[in-house]
Amino acid sequence: MIHGPQSFFFQTVIRFLFFVINLLAVYLLVRGHNHPGGGFIAGLATAISIVLLGLVTGLRELHGVMRIDPVRIAATGVATAFLTGLGPLLFNRPFLEQFTLHYENLPLLGSVHVGTPLLFDLGVYLVVVGVTCKILLVLSQSSQQLRVLIEDEKAFYSLPMEEPIEEELVRDDERWNRGIPEPRLALPAPETPLTPPTDPR
Amino acid sequence: MDLKSTLIFLAIALPLLGSPLVALLGRRLGPRVGWVALAFPVISTASLLWLSTLLDLPGSRQVVEWRWVPSLGLNLTFLLDGFSLFFALIVAGMGCLVIFYAIFYNGDDFRHAGRFYSYLVLFMAAMLGTVFSNHLILLYAFWELTSVASFLLIGFLHGDPRSRIGARQALLVTASTGLVMFTGLLLLEQIAGSANLSMLLSTGLPWSEHGPMLTVAMALIMIGAFGKSAQFPFQFWLPNAMTAPTPVSAYLHSATMVKLGVFLSGRFFPLFVESDLWVPLLGVIGFTTMALGALLALLSHDLKAILAYSSVSQLGYLIGYYGFGPAGGVSYDYLHILNHVFYKGSLFMIVGIVAHATGIRDIRQLGGLFRRLPVLGVTALIATAAMAGLPLTTGFLSKEMVLKEIFETFGKHGALGGYAAVCVVAGSVMKVAFSTRLFVNIFLGEKPGKVRKNFHDPGLWMVLPPLFLSGCALVFGIVPHWLDVPLRYLSQQPTAEGLALWHGFTLELAVSTLIVALGFGLYGIGHYTAWRWHHIPNFLRFDRLFERGVEGIFVLAKKVTRLLRADAPVDYLPIMIAFLIAVVGSGVIWGFQQEHALSVDWTEVRPLRVLAAGLIALALIGVLFLRQWTAQLISLSVAGFFTCFYFVLYRAPDLALTQILIEAVTLFMVLLLLARFPRSAQTGEETPWPWPRQIFHGVLALGVGVLATTLILTARSHDDRLGTHILEQSVPLAHGTNAVNTMLVDFRAFDTMGEVTVLLIATLGCLGLLMRYKRTPEEYRRGALKSPSYQMKGRDKG
Repeated sequence: MIHGPQSFFFQTVIRFLFFVINLLAVYLLVRGHNHPGGGFIAGLATAISIVLLGLVTGLRELHGVMRIDPVRIAATGVATAFLTGLGPLLFNRPFLEQFTLHYENLPLLGSVHVGTPLLFDLGVYLVVVGVTCKILLVLSQSSQQLRVLIEDEKAFYSLPMEEPIEEELVRDDERWNRGIPEPRLALPAPETPLTPPTDPR
Repeated sequence: MDLKSTLIFLAIALPLLGSPLVALLGRRLGPRVGWVALAFPVISTASLLWLSTLLDLPGSRQVVEWRWVPSLGLNLTFLLDGFSLFFALIVAGMGCLVIFYAIFYNGDDFRHAGRFYSYLVLFMAAMLGTVFSNHLILLYAFWELTSVASFLLIGFLHGDPRSRIGARQALLVTASTGLVMFTGLLLLEQIAGSANLSMLLSTGLPWSEHGPMLTVAMALIMIGAFGKSAQFPFQFWLPNAMTAPTPVSAYLHSATMVKLGVFLSGRFFPLFVESDLWVPLLGVIGFTTMALGALLALLSHDLKAILAYSSVSQLGYLIGYYGFGPAGGVSYDYLHILNHVFYKGSLFMIVGIVAHATGIRDIRQLGGLFRRLPVLGVTALIATAAMAGLPLTTGFLSKEMVLKEIFETFGKHGALGGYAAVCVVAGSVMKVAFSTRLFVNIFLGEKPGKVRKNFHDPGLWMVLPPLFLSGCALVFGIVPHWLDVPLRYLSQQPTAEGLALWHGFTLELAVSTLIVALGFGLYGIGHYTAWRWHHIPNFLRFDRLFERGVEGIFVLAKKVTRLLRADAPVDYLPIMIAFLIAVVGSGVIWGFQQEHALSVDWTEVRPLRVLAAGLIALALIGVLFLRQWTAQLISLSVAGFFTCFYFVLYRAPDLALTQILIEAVTLFMVLLLLARFPRSAQTGEETPWPWPRQIFHGVLALGVGVLATTLILTARSHDDRLGTHILEQSVPLAHGTNAVNTMLVDFRAFDTMGEVTVLLIATLGCLGLLMRYKRTPEEYRRGALKSPSYQMKGRDKG
């Protein structure tokens, strides 16, 4: 459905916007600790920019551009946040204690405050980007009659033993309407008496 | 860390930490990773042996403590005494033997070695943790960890449906009874005021004050023990757990995990023995299980099922034995347990070798293996003799002591004692019969053609561990006083008289001879009738009943779902909203009766805010009157964007930014979802009584509006200490001027950490649901998707 207009103007504007939004996102992320912004907001902005890019390039081509599964980005984010938390433990400080360095009067930059909160926020940023992108992309794929997950992803996210939910429901309903009881799971067969291999006498 | 803590660390924490390492190494090393895994039980055994020299045994009781979360009063405390060391040494020692055996059993073409040995090592660590736990909650945690490890190991060959069913049964039974036990443990902690086992053991329980509640706690805890030890009525899960690979059965389901119930009975024995219920509860359950287990073992044909039911029987005896113990303490529990470990561990491994060599596990199809496998035959002869309780084995010593206790102490328990004695004698007779059958039908007689055709030589290395165990049973059976020394050293009850082979012509000897004679007779009858009457009657197959119950849950769920019409969620909305209005509305009315005051200053009207609010209202009216879905949605979004404007007016730029972005993402997502529906869905389905329905919905909507307005008007700003605290401390503590952000990444960073993790998990769940896509016709023609098959080649088919 949402496969953007193929006009040159639209494509160029969106490609340009992609960089502008991401620049803004980085800005929001970095200033987040002291001014409005932060990992969550920046992550949403980046996710929107990626989805916009998907409108222009088409979803299949977007996979080629991104080259990495958004879920992996999200997982990296959780790992980053967690490792940031673990860091202080090495110095015998509580989990997730944050540290900040203050530099005053640097050339060009003025006074700068950098610290582990930024790293933690980076983790949040990555999680939000990954999660939002994945869900939006998967939904848009399904609404364009494309396969929801590519073959390689099936093994990660689903049980191959499952059958389509529609089929299962239809069959259940039929059985229900006819009053047939639910199927039993297979139990080990009862131990049937066998004729002994050798006659005792 | 002092030496004792280090040794405990080496014994418990090292395998716990090493278990994932083994799994990782398994990818690189393949089946050779077994040798790496073997290092863990060896280290554990060595450090436990060293540890046993450091404690002032016998009789001493010491506690080792590691600080974990001291602020919450949670510490890892371990109780070191003879009892825990005895069990721990069995666990670690059997671990060495079993992993050694498994290396040769699995062979060189074993594909999932990393996973297999990793689970085994994890299980050993969990077992050691359970027996050493000093804190009740810690005990429970390790207890359930053993259930989980057992589940993973039983279901190891998960391509086989029987394996999956067996694993599910084992997990459901042991974990749910474990939960019951947890309730009991918490109750015990509440009553006794301490969860510290060493403290409880030294002070005892306040039976005189809290008798009834303590009895309840005891019953709950013992249900956990019965579930784990497969006692009546839970005896059915153990034979079905035999779908696990044989090393697992030998380790978990004969020697160690199922002994946890016995361990728990012994651990709590000094605390609970004062209860009036202790004797009848354990006596009835234990001895009933003993007789029933022996009967089921006699009626089974599968080699592993026979052994499983015989384990059930022996465990029943041990639990009943603790039940009948005198208040001063029991004397020969170690002997009985050790004897069982010797012969049952050995027999499981032997059965594994037989199945390995012939591919057959049905006792009716085997025979004549002695000539082909003479060493194994001798090993099996000793082990079955020990199981039957014949002289010159530890089994004989154990049985003598059993009978002696029957005659000496059981009389005190009146009718219950008589019942127990009958159960013990009947169980022993049947045990002699199926022991004989086990040996004779596998090793003697003609070789059936199937055996001759399938036979391959299993090799000598695999025979070593069972040979060692049988050797122990034989040597200690001949020279009992060698066994005296270590048992006395670890004993809680050092007064017990020494073991001896020959007690003279006593009543026990006579009864023992009678039992053996009757047992042989029973075997003779079975042999004469060609075992035609041998199958387990349906009313004793509790597993079928259980499975039917489990299926019943699904059926019930489906019926309830249909009843509630889960496929029409639209009908739910009016009910939920009506409920909300009723509950919250009545709360508000009740609140009005308490105080009558509106908290809003009506005099102040700000034109900009009025404008924003008006625009929002306008957009919402648009939603009501527009006909197209897309148009409605965009109108709703406009309302959302004006809310951002409102946030800006309240000087909350963070909120405004978030709101804009969320609004954009949501709009996009809902548009995508709407695209999945056909255009015809916009008109909606035909519903009965459209007009009354719409009026009802309108009334509900108005109700929500009125309710929300009332809530806002009457809301009072509460005491806002936390907010001011964060605002004040934002710069000095968190070095940031954006209070929202400092709260997220610093003050409440732990919450944020949890939230992002939940976000990731929810996404994975979402993907799993979305995966259930509609397949294309070509895919249907290709047939059902195959289940992943991890069957190993040619072994453990059952």
